[in-house]
Amino acid sequence: MSTITRILNRYKNRRTYNKKEFVDKIVRVIFMMSTILSASFIIIIIIFISLKGLTPFVTSNSGIGSVNIISFLTGNVWLTGTAFQSSLYSIGFIIVNTLFIAFLSLLISMPVGVLTALFIAKIASRRISEFLRIVVELLASIPSIVYGLFGSGVILIFVYNLAEAFGIQSRGGNSVLATVLVLALMTLPTITAISEVSIRSVNKDIEQGSLALGATRTQTNFKVILMSAKSGIFASAILGIGRALGEATAVSLVAGNSKSGPSLGVFDITSTLTSTMLEGLKETTGIDYDIRFSVGLVLMVVILLTNLILNYIKKKVGSIDVK
Amino acid sequence: MLNKRNIIDIIYQVITYLAASVGVIALSMIIFFVFSNGLKLLNFGLLVNDYHAEFYNGGIDDPIFTFSHRPISLDDKVFYSQKWGIGLVDSKDREGNPIIIIEYISGDSPLLEIYDKNNEESKEIIGIDKGFLVSKISYYDKNTSLTMYGAESMINDIESTNEIREIVFSSLGGGIRGSIITTLYLISITIIIALPIGISTAIYLNEFSSKNRLTSLLRSLIETLTGVPSIIFGLLGLAVFVPLTIRFSEATSANIVSGSLTLSVILLPIIIKSTEESLKVVPDSFRSASLALGANHTQTTLKVVLPSAFPGIMTGTLLAIGRIIGESAALIFAIGTAVKDDISIFGKSTTLSVHIWSLMKDEPANIELASTIAIVILLIVLTLNIIVKLISKRFIKEF
Repeated sequence: MSTITRILNRYKNRRTYNKKEFVDKIVRVIFMMSTILSASFIIIIIIFISLKGLTPFVTSNSGIGSVNIISFLTGNVWLTGTAFQSSLYSIGFIIVNTLFIAFLSLLISMPVGVLTALFIAKIASRRISEFLRIVVELLASIPSIVYGLFGSGVILIFVYNLAEAFGIQSRGGNSVLATVLVLALMTLPTITAISEVSIRSVNKDIEQGSLALGATRTQTNFKVILMSAKSGIFASAILGIGRALGEATAVSLVAGNSKSGPSLGVFDITSTLTSTMLEGLKETTGIDYDIRFSVGLVLMVVILLTNLILNYIKKKVGSIDVK
Repeated sequence: MLNKRNIIDIIYQVITYLAASVGVIALSMIIFFVFSNGLKLLNFGLLVNDYHAEFYNGGIDDPIFTFSHRPISLDDKVFYSQKWGIGLVDSKDREGNPIIIIEYISGDSPLLEIYDKNNEESKEIIGIDKGFLVSKISYYDKNTSLTMYGAESMINDIESTNEIREIVFSSLGGGIRGSIITTLYLISITIIIALPIGISTAIYLNEFSSKNRLTSLLRSLIETLTGVPSIIFGLLGLAVFVPLTIRFSEATSANIVSGSLTLSVILLPIIIKSTEESLKVVPDSFRSASLALGANHTQTTLKVVLPSAFPGIMTGTLLAIGRIIGESAALIFAIGTAVKDDISIFGKSTTLSVHIWSLMKDEPANIELASTIAIVILLIVLTLNIIVKLISKRFIKEF
């Protein structure tokens, strides 16, 4: 508010009082304040989630005892505190599960998405690529809960039957594989859309140079265009993995919520950071409630670190250009 | 003749074609799955009915019989009692259990005089209506007729008696009216909060701000919001907005307002981005012309630039509405999962997406109703997307 008074004073002291300029200043301040408000939310998020998330580690949690931060981050069993009267929460295995699942889902959605992008940008006729672009947009606009519904209605049954064919009794299909498939489906439109833009922006000279040297269309597409667009493709992977790590509701419907792990077999039930946060929502106070924020805090750190590492790799990879 | 290179090329090409078809297959499978499971439940009644069935124990004294004739319009499957003026039909509920539905009730039926047996003194008339389920009718002089014996036997029983001791019936339930109303409330409150803040932020960033470090810091802070997963916003709602609304209103738990506040934060980057994009497209000649005519910066922005940017703001709003309807993870925390029929903005209730989630988390999961809600969501979201496309197409043509 002091800004307003300062401006007011300045205009009072002036002899020529310009009303229009004064209004400009006021409006500017109002707009600036709403900008500061918009920008402050990320800080509010970080402060509040850190405060709440660190509580279980420093307080006695009404007699249960404080959670040991090292065993929390490295352990392999998750016990709900109030039920077992213990502070033995550990999410080490859940962190491994989350990264493992995100990585596997990217392993599926990356090739499919990039090839779809290549097809849209370079191979398909105009009408087909227009159609495919609409399909990708629609896939991107489908809410995650519908993917979850599809996952538990179709993918779970598919995985259950597949496991049975291998002679494994899966728990209703809830498994690593089902989660990976749902996430791959959800990250596909993101990866396709961004890769397509980067493939489209590859310099025409490089492409024509390759063709002129006698390379076939397909060779050019795969060895020249995809290579030149790899920085953008990498960016799409970063966005994709961000979505895979943060996705909650769809995953919670197909993961199966394991309490110990890590689950590395494709037909084992699993749990991710997000699905753990959504478990047992009935608690509204106490450590079972606070620990959600700790998991959220870890999730944010995991996403941040993954992004930093991938961006670092992207810089390394992107600097080697195909000339 | 095919040489090695051609064969490799063909293999690569086939792989590309297969990859490109995955998206199409996935989309058609999702749509087919949702529609094939949900379409049979989708009707107008579902959209306007309560979710929780209301049970009544009705009693009736000294009935005056009607003997009004069976209406010709009534289907052959309906069993009709002339004495009581009621038509019953066999049906099945969502779990496949048999139920008996009141298909027709004549205007002078004695059953319209049913009073609430749980409230014997006041003898308040509860009235029975078309669409209710009859689960049990007991008599003084013979065995109780139950749902399991079918509508025909129930009609035969009441046709041959003059007194009914008790009739147990219930409203249909399973409707999604409450969730629809909550979603609508949520959309309007969120837009009312987020739109002014978002638009003025975009105006500041694009029209007023000078290029300095503070501006770029503000900009990058806002951009960081886009990368935050929605479940984290849910935690924000739980930690900040829910306590805030409990403190300053009659709310006792997560409520529509706390949900709206949380969603506003999620939507801010979307609204800011699309508004800014459209502000950027407005030609600088507009601004110069307005300023040259003597308008000040504020007038130029609000009366010249902003109206030209209207389509962009419109698309941003529509995308935001789509996001509100689809959002689930954040709202599970920020608004709660309790499905309610009486909606107030500071009370518990839930949106369509969260309704799907709680239906799927139940044991056993109710895939049919969940798919029906998913159809409603998909239709709205896909329509919004098409409108956005049309608007942006026209918008691009304009400049």
